Amino acid sequence: MDAQVNQTTDHDLMTEVARGNLASMSEIYRHRHRSLFRFFFRMTGKQATAEDLVHEVFLRMIRYRHTYQTGDGFEAWMYRIARNAFADQTKKHRLEVPAEEGLFDLTAEARPSAFEQVSKKQDLALLYRALRELPEDKRELIILSRFQGLSCEQIGELMGAAQGTVKVRVFRAMKEMGKIFLDLQKEKAS
Amino acid sequence: MICGHARELMAASWMGDLDPGGAAKLRQHLDGCPECSAEMSQLGMMWERLADIPAPEPSPLLNERWEMTLESLVTQRKAKSWRFSLAALTPGRPVWQIAAAAFLLIGGIGIGRLLPRGAGVERGGVERGGVERGEVAALRDEVAKTKEMVTLSLLQQQSASERLRGVDYSARMASLDPQVVTALVQVVKNDTSVNVRLAAIDALSKVSADAGVRRSLTQSLGQQDSPMVQAALIDYVVEARDRHAMGPLTELAARPDLNPAIRQRAESAVRRLTEYHY
Repeated sequence: MDAQVNQTTDHDLMTEVARGNLASMSEIYRHRHRSLFRFFFRMTGKQATAEDLVHEVFLRMIRYRHTYQTGDGFEAWMYRIARNAFADQTKKHRLEVPAEEGLFDLTAEARPSAFEQVSKKQDLALLYRALRELPEDKRELIILSRFQGLSCEQIGELMGAAQGTVKVRVFRAMKEMGKIFLDLQKEKAS
Repeated sequence: MICGHARELMAASWMGDLDPGGAAKLRQHLDGCPECSAEMSQLGMMWERLADIPAPEPSPLLNERWEMTLESLVTQRKAKSWRFSLAALTPGRPVWQIAAAAFLLIGGIGIGRLLPRGAGVERGGVERGGVERGEVAALRDEVAKTKEMVTLSLLQQQSASERLRGVDYSARMASLDPQVVTALVQVVKNDTSVNVRLAAIDALSKVSADAGVRRSLTQSLGQQDSPMVQAALIDYVVEARDRHAMGPLTELAARPDLNPAIRQRAESAVRRLTEYHY
């Protein structure tokens, strides 16, 4: 099922939930929980926190189901809730930049025979670190546009900004990430 | 075109949001601006490379937790809609409420007078007593089920004080349903609040004879970050005289980052368990 079909289906399902059929939320969860988890994991770097936030977003969708309007896109509405949940969580516990995700466990594969593969992986690990070291607002922009597949228009709606502004911000975020990446490479080489 | 506009177009091209006219303008600018051309090449490559970062996966626990929450919410809603339907049947104004009560009272007295007195006691007193006892037992069962439902629902709440209330509810139950036990074990393992975790350990003392619960709690010992929770878990396994906890306790005591007081407690627990069993 592609994103557009999901968007339409989830819109219908959410309309059902808003009418009081809470069981329809089960299907929305099936379509969306993985993508939301990835968003939160990339924002927080923590498995348990990301899972708590996913749970919280679905609870809030049920709690605020009456605010779902048929004119709104489902995705924009869901990410609005997700961003609020993340902001509340951040207020409660200041999230530190983690390094424990296990996405890039290099030690197990660091054999000379796989040198090229490892160095590529190390570069990727540095890139991931650069993304993690970006300020939260810039990291969010890259995550939404690159990983979550949101269009310029959707991000603009979500953040209350014009499309041109979103593009300029994405460029700036990429440039800053590039600078961090180069610094990390120099640090590693020295 | 100025460099500022070219940067906007660069981002648009990475995001797949660039029309053919914009693409032509960007190409033209890049041909004449080495600085923008270098940026487009380096940052564009980085943008592509981001796609290779592995995608993390949620644990199966998340699904279990959500299914439990949704089930409980759907059940609650059904119960609520029943309450609403009953409320719709009751008269709204006090005058009508009094009239309805009087009607029911008079009707009840009338029916009571029409029934033959004592017949039930003479003919089927024992049987009727049995039926009443059965009804009371069914009612008790119903109350217990409601309490379980409320407990499970409270344990899923975002607020720590609500979850604490859920644990308190479970502590007041005469016996713990397996679903509540599983939920309490999950609380001990994953709850963010130390107070809630401590209360859940207390509530689980009723089922310390259950080897599965003891095993789960012993396993969670190594993952706890709070010394208070670690101490409560150590006490739990010692009280339960669980000899299988000796290995994990020894491992815990050997951890270099462990709080010295907890190390002492873990070592003492191992000694006590050794005395019990050997």
